Amino acid sequence: MGLKPTLTQISPLIYEFEWNLNISDTLLQLQLSLKTKLLENFPNKILELRIGFKTLALVFTKPMESAKLIDWLGSLNPEEAAEPLPNKIWQIPVCYAPETGRDLKTLASEKNLKQEEVILLHSQELYRLHFYGFLPGFMYLNGLHTSLHTPRKSVPDRSVPAGSIAIGASQTGIYPSSSPGGWHLIGQTPLSLFDPRQAKPVFASAGEQIEFVPISLREFENAKRHPSQPQFK
Amino acid sequence: MIRDIGYLKIMKTGPGTSVQDQGRVGFTNFGVPVSGGLDTRSLTWANHLLKNEVTDAVLEICQPGLTIQFDSPTLICLAGARTAIKLNGKLISSFGLLEINSNDELKIGLFYEGSVLYLGIKNGFQSEMIMNSRSWYAGITATDFAKKRDLIPYFTNQEIPTFTSSKVKWKLDWSSIQIIDAYAGPEFKLLDKKSQEEIESMQFTISDLKNRMAIQVVELLQNGIPEMATAPVFPGTVQLTSGGKLIMLTKDCQVTGGYPRILQLTDQALSVLAQKNAKDKIRFHLKELT
Repeated sequence: MGLKPTLTQISPLIYEFEWNLNISDTLLQLQLSLKTKLLENFPNKILELRIGFKTLALVFTKPMESAKLIDWLGSLNPEEAAEPLPNKIWQIPVCYAPETGRDLKTLASEKNLKQEEVILLHSQELYRLHFYGFLPGFMYLNGLHTSLHTPRKSVPDRSVPAGSIAIGASQTGIYPSSSPGGWHLIGQTPLSLFDPRQAKPVFASAGEQIEFVPISLREFENAKRHPSQPQFK
Repeated sequence: MIRDIGYLKIMKTGPGTSVQDQGRVGFTNFGVPVSGGLDTRSLTWANHLLKNEVTDAVLEICQPGLTIQFDSPTLICLAGARTAIKLNGKLISSFGLLEINSNDELKIGLFYEGSVLYLGIKNGFQSEMIMNSRSWYAGITATDFAKKRDLIPYFTNQEIPTFTSSKVKWKLDWSSIQIIDAYAGPEFKLLDKKSQEEIESMQFTISDLKNRMAIQVVELLQNGIPEMATAPVFPGTVQLTSGGKLIMLTKDCQVTGGYPRILQLTDQALSVLAQKNAKDKIRFHLKELT
């Protein structure tokens, strides 16, 4: 069934678990559960644990015999139910407009949709946060409506403004800092998404959900002047 | 011990001068790169000779044309690339410990051998510590690369420290080897037999696409592996793009990637690679995990 991952040793310190399953909430549950169990079973031996869409990488502080890890993995009960995902939903205000998302018009017309339809399709879904990658504080989100899937730009933009909401292939995301990028920009959030001076530099954790809440250009500009914290429900 | 603050002033610099230490550990799950010195071996050696902590911060220099001035006495140590170095206009040995007096000026000229030079300082540079590291990285620290007139703080004793240890020889021979040791990456098994063999039999040339994030080679490798779901990558991970380009990730690399990961370089190999220049030749040697 693929519920049990395969284990690959990458270097004396790095291991990776991989699941032969489609990207889904169920798979994320399995990844997060295994992450918790590893931390419980190998306390003080783990330097870092990181997830990808279908993987969980593990870095030990000291070399560990692979047999130990294989035996431990074999001892886990595959029938044991994984912990449910958290039900926290973060609300991210987004100004969807050509002024804040320079590709909104083109993307809508290429898809034969009105801009309002693109906005509705994007803001009516709940997105699951799987992990952070690409840039500090960049969330890998699952749940983009299939009718919004769009191939990445063949020539990436030299500079995407911080806070940009963008679509790239089957994914959507928010650029936490200004960076080059090949995704299509459809809007912008006034929120700050990453603060390196905080012990936890991001607000949302893997497994939680994100909801995009449309706001007007005026509300966007106002919020930029009066920075606020992200809200959740 | 007296611990007054002194400053190193950047008078002139080429691109790629930055403060680095052993890197940022434990923040990759927020998307934060590891960073840290490209050549850990030389960086660690500089700190060792200074009797510093292994985690102390040093200056990483990647281009000729750096001129710096110290406003107070200290002890420094140079390690890594062999370069033309002048102290107050006088040519000096490019390796080992060096006493510095107030207003001394140090000039780094041509790189004769290697590609990265480290300048360690007694007790380490004292630039801001963010997420347990002083390594500069855009968006994490206020600065990413040094520019003219930047001031970098260090501790001074207000008197020139004397050192009694005899001059320790630093040789860069270890970095001139062509062999880059690597383990098979998670997607290595998906390569066809011919490409798997070519990884070890081919000689690859370092291209000029070389920075703190990645180093590319000139030669292409046949790649039939389909695109994969985004997965964790590490410094030392070698990715193979759909166009057949080999990308060797270095210390400032992203924490995740979507290209097949065909090799994972050893830490020692990463230090060797860091000292390579464009047009240098390398060969991969696959190591077994025991």
